[in-house]
Amino acid sequence: MNAQTETNSRELTYSEAIREAMDIALGNDERVILMGEDIGVYGGAFGVTGDLVEKYGTDRVMDTPISELGGAGVAVGAALTGLRPIFEFQFSDFATLGMEQIVNQAAKLRFMLGGAVSVPVVMRFPAGSGTGAAAQHSQSLEAWTAHVPGLKVVQPSTPEDAKGLLLAALEDPDPVMIYEHKLLYKMKGPVPAGHYTTPIGKAAIRREGRDVSIVATAIMVHKALEAAETLAREGIDAEVIDLRTIRPIDRDTVLASVRKTGRLICVYEGVKTLGVGAEVSAMVAESDAFDFLDAPIVRLGGAECPIPYNPQLEKAVVPQVPDILDAARGLTKGRI
Amino acid sequence: MPVEVIMPKVDMDMASGKIMSWHVAVGQPVAKGDPLFDIETDKAAMEVESPADGMLYHPAPEGTEIQIGQPCAWLYAEGEEVGDQPAAFGAAAAEPAPPPEPVAAVEPVRELAFTAEPALEKPRATPRARRLASEAGRDLTSFVGTGPRGRVQADDVLQALAPAPSAGFTAETGPLSITRSKGGEGTPIVLIHGFASDATSWAPLETHLRHRPVIRIDLPSHGKSPKLRIRCFADLVKEVRAAVDDLHLDAAHLVGHSLGGAVALALADTRPRKIASLTLIAPGGLGPEIDGAALTGLCNATRVESLAPWLRRLAADESLITDGYARLAMASRNDPALRHAQAALADVLFPDGTQAFDLRAALDRVDMPTRIIWGKRDAIIPWSHALRAPGKVALHLFDGLGHMPQIEAPDEVGKIIRSLV
Repeated sequence: MNAQTETNSRELTYSEAIREAMDIALGNDERVILMGEDIGVYGGAFGVTGDLVEKYGTDRVMDTPISELGGAGVAVGAALTGLRPIFEFQFSDFATLGMEQIVNQAAKLRFMLGGAVSVPVVMRFPAGSGTGAAAQHSQSLEAWTAHVPGLKVVQPSTPEDAKGLLLAALEDPDPVMIYEHKLLYKMKGPVPAGHYTTPIGKAAIRREGRDVSIVATAIMVHKALEAAETLAREGIDAEVIDLRTIRPIDRDTVLASVRKTGRLICVYEGVKTLGVGAEVSAMVAESDAFDFLDAPIVRLGGAECPIPYNPQLEKAVVPQVPDILDAARGLTKGRI
Repeated sequence: MPVEVIMPKVDMDMASGKIMSWHVAVGQPVAKGDPLFDIETDKAAMEVESPADGMLYHPAPEGTEIQIGQPCAWLYAEGEEVGDQPAAFGAAAAEPAPPPEPVAAVEPVRELAFTAEPALEKPRATPRARRLASEAGRDLTSFVGTGPRGRVQADDVLQALAPAPSAGFTAETGPLSITRSKGGEGTPIVLIHGFASDATSWAPLETHLRHRPVIRIDLPSHGKSPKLRIRCFADLVKEVRAAVDDLHLDAAHLVGHSLGGAVALALADTRPRKIASLTLIAPGGLGPEIDGAALTGLCNATRVESLAPWLRRLAADESLITDGYARLAMASRNDPALRHAQAALADVLFPDGTQAFDLRAALDRVDMPTRIIWGKRDAIIPWSHALRAPGKVALHLFDGLGHMPQIEAPDEVGKIIRSLV
């Protein structure tokens, strides 16, 4: 991969950063192809692919039929032949139709063929609630794929990481699932120009603190940071960790933080039960960091119900800043 | 049929109460209305009267949490056969238990079924606290837990192991200092002074109370009392209550000033039958506000020049605080250990210049004649806290007095107390 040399950084939106990553990859490596429903002339349901079809043509930016199982299957097959496909599910919810290819094929072929092949496919999943798109277009199902050995699963929370993780995913010999929160697409942030990668499997400490560790994913990172500012004014010093990758989870960073603060809040938008926070909590409870806990672990996750259409309810079923504030205050003031 | 002794509901939001101690031994008689046991809830500690005449059997072990409305002991009539415990503690006894068999031989002791939370064999503690205690080679039971449900947390262990800088004093043990007047007849008056003061501060008022025996208590870390490590307001009350219990008085009139007023109120709440009347002078515990700067100033002053300005804040008429008075006050505070102990106490009771304890519910509960005396120019605790008292409490509000009516106008205050005592 020929890394470009520019390093100056500009403000881009999250979706522009992803498009730039795809543009760089398409330009640098002719094995890279884009596939997905309406990603060609239409530019993608969320406009992420934009006009890349005009630059690279329909042989490399391919509209696929309305069959997630078919599309994902072709992408997995293309990867087996040596290409580097980036497959976009229009909504992550629809990936449920393509699970056979993800879980039974992409994740397993390397193991089943004794390492003779690998499946270097990248799949993009626009996920999350907050757009008023209701039960079938708002889910956060990242824990589904994170449950499967053989896959890598990332959740970038910033434009910089959205680009860096996508470029890292393309360099990875195995299938990488990228969950992009739909509300983040318009979020702006500094993005270095040119080619760079953000390491898969490495969390980022977004704010250092000593009183409580808040381990968050995707859009919850921003809610945690907002809560941390309020908490700081109350004398509560919160550490905010952006997991970035949920398979494999950056165990060392989480455990080191808990050893320091003695208190843990996990915040994630997926349904609370059996979600990412359950894994992080169990990881801490099973480790030596357990002996450093000075309060029970708190998980803040999505409610046990489909995402409602009513905007008030839609907000109410996923963790919000006041929920994080309550948890942090409760833990540090000895109420929990 | 034995009479059930029920855990009473003494607080609006109380779900259960902890049995602290039984006043009567198993098998001993108790009369209806006599104090039977002490309970403690999240907010208060109090005495519970016996619901009937009888012999006490099957009392729940001390330290047990019992749900309200549930049995915690049984009273048997004289001659009544005592068999198995009729029902489990805390469990609703839906059907009356069948009368015990007359030939009930000695039954093997059976496990008591608690539906209330059983007493834990191990102390409740966080992993971090356990690790710290184990590293220090200390048993967890040697720490007082301040977390939810008494959970020992890291801070509890750290504070106990290394005294915090503000608590830089050596904790002593021993009973509180008690002084008694000579003469006087009838029910004695017990005086409890305020923070950073001591028993000698009652001298001006005492000349008006000579008709009754007067007993003065020095609070822990005050006057001649030992410097005790107090962890919370309830701790303080416990020490004073033990001192008052040791006096074995049939009854007492209780007078308390400021912090001593709060202690007096808490005492009256837990020993209602012993307290004939309650006089609270500018008491604490009725609202969060207090002049934190004055508390710090009084605690920390090491010479007359730094003490006098804070003393003057206590009185409405500054001229009452003469240089001689300030010198005398400083002389009683010359011991640095005493000042450190009081600073540590202030840190616990009044963190960040806030009264960390709330006795408004206790004031609603107490039933003996009670009055509040306050100066409307009080610069330490707002006199308007008095307005939170329920209607049954008499208010005596003085326009021209400050935080120490008993020193600023002893004759007026004496007259009020004498009218009831």
